[in-house]
Amino acid sequence: MNESLYREMAQSIINGNVELAASLATRAVEAGIDPLEAVNKGYSAGVRQVGENFSNGSAYIPELVIAGAAMKSAMAVLEPEIAKRGEERQKMGVVVLATVEGDIHDIGKNLVGTIMSAYGFEVHDLGIDVPTSQIVEKTRQVNADIVAVSALLTTTMIQQRDVVEGLRQAGLRDSVKVMVGGAPVDNSWVKEIGADGYGEDAIQAVNVAKELLGLA
Amino acid sequence: MSEDAHSLYQERLTRYVTANYNGKPDRVPLRIFAEEFSAKYCGYDNYEVALDHELQFDINREFAVRTGIDAIQTNSVVNWFGMQKALSWEGITFPGFGIPVDSVNQWAEPSSEEGAFLKADEYDEFNDDPTAFLVNKWLARFTTSMQPVGSPVTFDHNMAFINGIMAYNQFFNTWGAKHVELVEAGIVPAVGSVLKAPLDILGDKLRGYINLCFDLNQRRDNVIEACEALVPHLSNLVVGGADQSGDIPSIIWMHRGCVPFISRRDFDEIYFPTLKPIIETLWSKGAQIILYAEGNWDQHLEAFATLPEKSIIFHCDKTDIFKAHRVLGDKFCISGGIPNMLLTNGTPDQVRATCKKIIDEVARDGGYIMDAGALIMNDAKIENVEAMIEFTRDYGVYSQGSGSSPSLEKVKQVDSRPQAPVYKFKEQKRTPGVCLPWEQKRKELAPVVEREELARNVWESVDGQGYGFLWVNLTW
Repeated sequence: MNESLYREMAQSIINGNVELAASLATRAVEAGIDPLEAVNKGYSAGVRQVGENFSNGSAYIPELVIAGAAMKSAMAVLEPEIAKRGEERQKMGVVVLATVEGDIHDIGKNLVGTIMSAYGFEVHDLGIDVPTSQIVEKTRQVNADIVAVSALLTTTMIQQRDVVEGLRQAGLRDSVKVMVGGAPVDNSWVKEIGADGYGEDAIQAVNVAKELLGLA
Repeated sequence: MSEDAHSLYQERLTRYVTANYNGKPDRVPLRIFAEEFSAKYCGYDNYEVALDHELQFDINREFAVRTGIDAIQTNSVVNWFGMQKALSWEGITFPGFGIPVDSVNQWAEPSSEEGAFLKADEYDEFNDDPTAFLVNKWLARFTTSMQPVGSPVTFDHNMAFINGIMAYNQFFNTWGAKHVELVEAGIVPAVGSVLKAPLDILGDKLRGYINLCFDLNQRRDNVIEACEALVPHLSNLVVGGADQSGDIPSIIWMHRGCVPFISRRDFDEIYFPTLKPIIETLWSKGAQIILYAEGNWDQHLEAFATLPEKSIIFHCDKTDIFKAHRVLGDKFCISGGIPNMLLTNGTPDQVRATCKKIIDEVARDGGYIMDAGALIMNDAKIENVEAMIEFTRDYGVYSQGSGSSPSLEKVKQVDSRPQAPVYKFKEQKRTPGVCLPWEQKRKELAPVVEREELARNVWESVDGQGYGFLWVNLTW
């Protein structure tokens, strides 16, 4: 019976059905199903399928967006239950995420945060127009494994260099991996500013993050 | 206009039009869309330029005159604090207001259903009468001070209309005057009317991209109908402001219509089918359009190849310009392709090398216009932009025999110009171009004693301007 429910959970993610994802999570909680099993065998399976579909070109950003939203709604039900049981979802890593100072764009950044969370990263999203000092401080505070900074404009991406430098000056550079993202970013920019990686899209961001942390 | 400026203007216009029509002019034209870069070049910061709308036009003209390029937009910065904040537009942040003075204008859009300017359950209302929706609900949601129809009218609401429309008129009156100044300086105004694709408008200004992601998957028919409902209005707008002599193309800012922002199916079934009839209508009236394709449109070039020959100029941002040339170059002019990151981070030698490669391969037989891939902002190095311009002027010369160039009329000749497509769409309550029909207005007036058509003509002209105001706000 659980297997059938897990398949429904996965499908609710693939279809981006936010209400159904939440109601299936509620059903699982009420049935006493281990919430971590629901996450790992149900919802995460759906996320992985959407990720595969995106990578093979049969799904696109809209499908990632709706899958991420459905996952978020399921986790909103399951996370309190996981905490109540004294359990913890296996973390891939801790991520500090932000759009750099002077830049107010967030669609791509939000999607990366949602998808990384769906894949099991603990994401601390600082929002938009975030000063380097705040990014550095949060990195220290949460002992982040990855700092992921986004910029949509060529005029603001220079702040990504600032973040790398800020982490270096704070003595944190060697303990974190820095990922950069946004429309103008490419591999040559990563090399130029001494960052560690970039993902052209949210799925690539997950894959690069896993590689950087030796989890791939 | 001095004789020299007149002569220069004619020379540049011929060069620009010849290339636009996929011909080979005397040399590769330089049509540079310099946005905040013009401010930097002329020694201003972006805050000053955001506040002074006349300066926006003047810096474009000064940049064009000093560099000797052929064509530029009359105003590339376009967003004026005085107008948009008088109207109380919420979604735009100006440099100097919470962001540094040398930052650029930045846009926000709805990212939740609560914040959407068109709610998911309002599609039918919108599709039935888009103009009324803009008046009744959209303006209030897009702005901070305007109230929706049916709400108590506030002081701020009235002032947003009074100040906002006065500023709007001031801006566009200035545009007309500055257009003349640009021409009198010998520079070709690069574009005429402006368009966005129906699906882009739905994403940018109605639903927001995030909500649209849900709609494409869960209420697809609504999306298709909304895009179809937009077509006659966008046609009306872009054709109305177009240069039907065919000299100056219109422009469409193509924003998120490419994979992976939408699926291939979304492009094939929605984005392109609701855009193509507008382009064809414009072409049937005599005007070309620049497809300013932001991002990478590699996967959609074959679709654009189905458009009528010479009807478009295809602009490359991150699209592979060499592929674009292979797929589209026989039928259409190609422009752009110089990476903005190169202008920002590269060296003049690197810029020259890239220009050379593009000129050698894409401009070889004509039909190419030099420009950066995207609007040039103030992070571009002056020496790099100058290198792009100077190299193109020196290297991009076609070795043609001496003799006079063909006339503009000959250059613009096409074998056949198709009729405007008959576009079937669901009937709407209000005709495109009309807000308050004369038949309705006359009921509140004393009876017209005679020659009613005189009063009607005046009313329809005024009402048409109101319609223009609404739809310009939406498509901005």
